[in-house]
Amino acid sequence: MSVKIWAFSESPPVANEVASVASAMAGAGGGSFAVVGLDESGPLLTGEEKLVVRADTPLSASPEAAASALAEAAKEANPDVILVGSTRDGKEIAARMAVKLGRPCASEVFGAALEAGKLQGKRNVFAGKLTAEVSLPLPCIVALKVGTNTALPPSSAMASERMVGTVASKTKLLERQEKQKGTVDLRGAKLIVSAGRGIKKKEDLALVRDLAVTLGGAIGCSRPLSADMGWLPEEHHIGLTGITVHPDLYLALGISGQLQHVAGIKDSKVIAAVNTDKSAPIFEASDYGVVGDLYAVIPAMLKELKARQH
Amino acid sequence: MKIAVCVKNAVDETELKVDSGGNPQLRGAPTKMSTFDKNAVEEALRLKAAHQGEVVVVTVGTSEAKKTMKEALAMGSDRGILVSADPMAMDNRRTSELLAAALKKGGPYDMILCSEGSSDMYSGLVPPMLGELLGLPYVGYAKKIDVSGKSAKVERALEDSIDVVEAPLPLVVSVVSEINEPRYPTLIQIMQAGKKPMEELIPETLLPGVAPAMPLVGGMKAQAMTRKRVVFEGPPAETAKKLVDALAAEGVLPR
Repeated sequence: MSVKIWAFSESPPVANEVASVASAMAGAGGGSFAVVGLDESGPLLTGEEKLVVRADTPLSASPEAAASALAEAAKEANPDVILVGSTRDGKEIAARMAVKLGRPCASEVFGAALEAGKLQGKRNVFAGKLTAEVSLPLPCIVALKVGTNTALPPSSAMASERMVGTVASKTKLLERQEKQKGTVDLRGAKLIVSAGRGIKKKEDLALVRDLAVTLGGAIGCSRPLSADMGWLPEEHHIGLTGITVHPDLYLALGISGQLQHVAGIKDSKVIAAVNTDKSAPIFEASDYGVVGDLYAVIPAMLKELKARQH
Repeated sequence: MKIAVCVKNAVDETELKVDSGGNPQLRGAPTKMSTFDKNAVEEALRLKAAHQGEVVVVTVGTSEAKKTMKEALAMGSDRGILVSADPMAMDNRRTSELLAAALKKGGPYDMILCSEGSSDMYSGLVPPMLGELLGLPYVGYAKKIDVSGKSAKVERALEDSIDVVEAPLPLVVSVVSEINEPRYPTLIQIMQAGKKPMEELIPETLLPGVAPAMPLVGGMKAQAMTRKRVVFEGPPAETAKKLVDALAAEGVLPR
């Protein structure tokens, strides 16, 4: 069986990740894959076969319109597997296509591969406490967990175009406030210094910043600091409902280590933690831990690190 | 305003026991209202407070789900609809179909609220499937909802942007946990919740003649803990040095 795979994400870096999975899947099964994009806005970096789906209105402004156009194009091309990036909009697009095309669908899947004529993969459940097996009959739609795959090298192949005419959107995008890029790039960061409830006031984040600067790391946080306190913007929030990271070193400062937080840091190479509470669950999830007050331990670490630089 | 809020009774992940072979003991495990559903209920109650009307709680669940239903009623919802079926024994499409059928039967609703995903499976597929199945506008990942007249302005929290979207009512919305702080019911509210009306529906009457749907997710197992779990205790100067030494030996500190 020659399997035909589509790789799509509305986000170009994620599309690259999805394409790498599609490429491996097609390679292993002797199938083919196409990288699919919307409008003209997102240039397709990779893939020997590229397809751009367009309509008479911009598709990137509405996941509903994007799903309608993609489903329309998929009816004609009939790919056996539609891979989508499991971003927030990606999950909506996958779910809508699943209903429109009458296909089974799973989200947040990693380790996806074709085995015995089915799409097999895994996903985290119960806030990452368990891993579950996912098995979908073909044809199917799978939203792939973001940040778990490598990217493909760029290709200069020309894209073909598919115009689907008119698609409707029941919602109207009034304003898109882009978050500042560059200030936070936690997903690709090699070293992350992360703060939790152990920080008593907003000003004390300076201590965490000092350590991040000394180590050349990015700053992350657990949910309370961004959602409840508002001390850091939401894009710093690492965890189940925030972002997933996989740095070489994840340093958790004053973070208790709830399942939801640990779910976002599992793929880190080394995890270290500082916490006053010896029984905090973060120590169970760490390679190295210091039982102590971060207000004393961070300055001591800074001193130690500075001493080494000489 | 007639508001429906969809909730799920889920195994409490913090109470879930795993045996030495990594197998979870799901049978009989303690359950709770899916964590983020409390934010959906809270938002429904706030919308009711601002625009008057009624809040109806809808769930697909076993008899255990009555506990979650009661909690939503204790928080201030007016009545409940329980679709008696086990969501763990079907796929997310079928759960969505059952919810959609129950919502159609008791509707029309001006607003249907969900959370972005359940705390057990966290697929995030049911809310957009509901919008699609009901043919209603759907807005996902709302961090702010402003209703005025027959339309709503919603701020969506996405990875790279905040999108401000306008949509006509009736509308399906999923909320993120940042949208509000869920209230705790008072003792009196908890006691009175049992007296509020709860209707039970069965899948056979909602979706007559439909074959059972199989779950797509199974074979759950705990991930083996592979962390070293070395813990240093003592004066900060000593523990900080030990930690920095250990991290340097791992090769994860900048040179």
